[in-house]
Amino acid sequence: MLVLKGVPASPGVAIGPAVLLPGESFAVTRQYIEPAEVKAELQKIRSAMQKTLSELDACEQKVLSTLGPEYANLMSTHKLILQDPSLKESVSKKIRSEHLSAQAAIFVTLQELAASFDKIEDPFFKERRNDIFDVGKRLVNNLEGDKKEFLASITKPSLLVAHNLYPSDTINLQENQVIGFCTDVGGKTSHTALLAQSLNIPAVVGLGTASKDVHSGDTLIIDGENGLLVINPDKYTLANYRKIQREIKKTEALLKTINHLPVITADGHAVKLFVNYDPRTDTKENKRLITDGLGLLRTEFLFMNTPHPPTEDEQYQVYLSVAKRFDMRPVTIRLADLGADKLPDFPLDEFDQDENPFMGCRGIRLFLKNPELMHTQLRALIRMSCEVPAQVKIMIPMVSSVEEVRHVRAAFDAVLKEFEAEGKKPVNRVALGAMIEVPAAAIALDGMIHLLDFISIGTNDLIQYLIAVDRVNQEVAHMYDPCHPAVGRTINQIIQTAHKRGKKVSICGEIASDAKLLPLLLGLDIDALSVTPRMFLRVKNNIRNLNFENCSDLAQAALLMGSSEEIRNLIEQNDKNEDS
Amino acid sequence: MIQQDIPITNRLGIHARPAAMIAQTAAGFACDIQLTKDDVTVNAKSIMGVMMLAAEFGSHIRLTTNGSDEKEAFAAIKKLFEEKFNEEF
Repeated sequence: MLVLKGVPASPGVAIGPAVLLPGESFAVTRQYIEPAEVKAELQKIRSAMQKTLSELDACEQKVLSTLGPEYANLMSTHKLILQDPSLKESVSKKIRSEHLSAQAAIFVTLQELAASFDKIEDPFFKERRNDIFDVGKRLVNNLEGDKKEFLASITKPSLLVAHNLYPSDTINLQENQVIGFCTDVGGKTSHTALLAQSLNIPAVVGLGTASKDVHSGDTLIIDGENGLLVINPDKYTLANYRKIQREIKKTEALLKTINHLPVITADGHAVKLFVNYDPRTDTKENKRLITDGLGLLRTEFLFMNTPHPPTEDEQYQVYLSVAKRFDMRPVTIRLADLGADKLPDFPLDEFDQDENPFMGCRGIRLFLKNPELMHTQLRALIRMSCEVPAQVKIMIPMVSSVEEVRHVRAAFDAVLKEFEAEGKKPVNRVALGAMIEVPAAAIALDGMIHLLDFISIGTNDLIQYLIAVDRVNQEVAHMYDPCHPAVGRTINQIIQTAHKRGKKVSICGEIASDAKLLPLLLGLDIDALSVTPRMFLRVKNNIRNLNFENCSDLAQAALLMGSSEEIRNLIEQNDKNEDS
Repeated sequence: MIQQDIPITNRLGIHARPAAMIAQTAAGFACDIQLTKDDVTVNAKSIMGVMMLAAEFGSHIRLTTNGSDEKEAFAAIKKLFEEKFNEEF
C-alpha cells in the first residue's frame, strides 16, 4: 500500500482499477523531410488544422449544451490558439527552412512555447501551457490520421491516472467509463480541476509521481475530500473507504429527502438555518434549497475591482435582485467589511496600509472615516427595503465599542428620515444588528445591546482575535482552536447577554457547519446558524439527529472545563454516543 | 503610431479568456498591434503571445498600434482593458 498526498480538485471518493493514460510525449515517427516534400508537408499541416478546427467547433457545441457557456469559452480559446499566427508561422518556417517533418515541426514549436510558459512564476499563468499542449496534441492526432481516442477504449469503470490531463480529455470523460482521475501535475486553478468539479467525479491533482508509481490494473482509491491517492490499499483501508463511500451515497440520497422538513432537533427544539449567499455563484441546485433566508451577504465584492465606489443605484439594483431571490424571507446584508485583505482600488480618506491590517482600519472603522461610503450603502439598502416585503437586516462588521454603534444608528436613522421626506417608508421595519467578532464587543455587549436589533457572531475572526492567532501564519496556525475554553465561554456570554434583552443570536462562521461542534453551539442556545449552500442540507440533517437536552448538558459541562483537550474529549465521546 | 501604458485592473490578470478577447479583437484590424510588458514585446493578434506576458493585476502593459487603422484598433483594445474584460460586476 502506498499513499500519495496531492491537491483535492473535486470532492468524493472513487475506488477501482487503474488505467494509465499514455504520456504526453508525441511519438514523432519521422524527423526530417526531403526538400521536394515541403509543399506536401505544408498541405498536411493545413488539412490537419482544418480538421482540428471542425473538431473543436463540435466540441464547443457539445460543451455549450452540457456544461454551459463558461466552459465553452475554454474551447473558443483553444480555437484561437490553433489559429494563432505565431503557431502557423513557426511551424511553416521549420518545415520550409529546417526541413522538419510536419510532426516534428509541431513538436519542436510546442516545446519552445512550453519552455517560455515554464519561465512564468505565477502558477495561474503556468497552467495555461496545458491549453497549448492540448491543441498541439489534437493537431498531431489529426496528422497521423484517425487515431482512436484512448479514452474511448476504456470499457469498464476505471480510475484514470495521467501525468497531465488536458481539458479536452476531461470533456470526454463524461460518457466514458472513468469514475475518477488523478494527475501528477496541476493545481486548484487549472481548467482540468474546474471541469472535474462540474462533472462531479472525484479528482486529485498535483500528486507528483502518481503516473510512475501506479501500474495499469492496480487497485486505487481516489480521495477527493482529502486529496489522497491510495495505491493497492490493504484490506482494512479498502473496507474503511468502502464504508465512507456508502456513507457519502446514503447521505446524499437522504439529504435530498429532508429539504422540505423543518429544522428541529429530535426532541422538537427549533433553530433557524440560513444560507451564506453569493449572487455571483448561485446555481439551480442552490435555488432548490428551502432555507429560512439569507444569513450573510458579504458586500465587499461590490467595492472591489472598480475605479470608483459603487453608486447608490448600482448597489440598489444588486440588493433588489438579492431580496427578490429570497421573497419574503429575511435577508441579512453586511455593510462592506473593507480593509485588511480586502482593499478597494479607489482612494480612501485617511487610509494608509498599516503593518497589522487585521487590527487596523477595517470594517466599521473604515466606514466611519469615510462616512459618504456608509451613507451611500445605507441609502441603497433602505431604498430597496421600501420596494420589497423582505425582512431586511443590516449588519455592522468589526464593532468594538458602543460609540461606533451609536454613530451607525444615527446615520441609519438619518437615512430613514431622508426617505420619509420623500414620502417613502420601508415595507417592513429594517433591523440593525452587529457582527460580534472583536472580543471587546463580546465582553461589553451589555453596554450596546439596547441599540441593536440582532447579533451575529463571526466566529472565524472572533477565534482569531480571542487566541491572538493569525490563521495564515504557519508558525501559529495550529493554535487556532475552536475548542479553546475561551471560545465556548465567549459565545455563551454573547448569547446570554442578548437573550436577557430578548435579542436573537446567529453564528455565521465555519464552525456553524462543523458537525462535531454543532451540539455545543445548539446547547449554548444559539437561535440561528448560517452556512454555505453546499453544507446546508448536511447541517440540517445533523440538527435533526440531535437531542437538544443532551446538547444543553454537553454545553454546560464544556463551560466548566479549563482546557481544549478536555472539551475535545467530551465532544468526541458525545459524537461516538450519538453514532451508537 | 499610437503608444500608451495601460494598467491591468481586473483581479485575475490577463489569463486565457482576456487573452482570447484581445487576440480576437486585434485580428479584426489591419495594422500592427503590439503589447509590451517589462522588456517582452508580443503580437497582440497571437493569443499565446498575449498569455505569455503573464500580466497580473496591478501591472502595466504598453499598447502600440501602427498602420492604417491604428486609431480604431487602439481604442478597441484599450476599451477591453477598461471594461475589465467583462469579468466583474
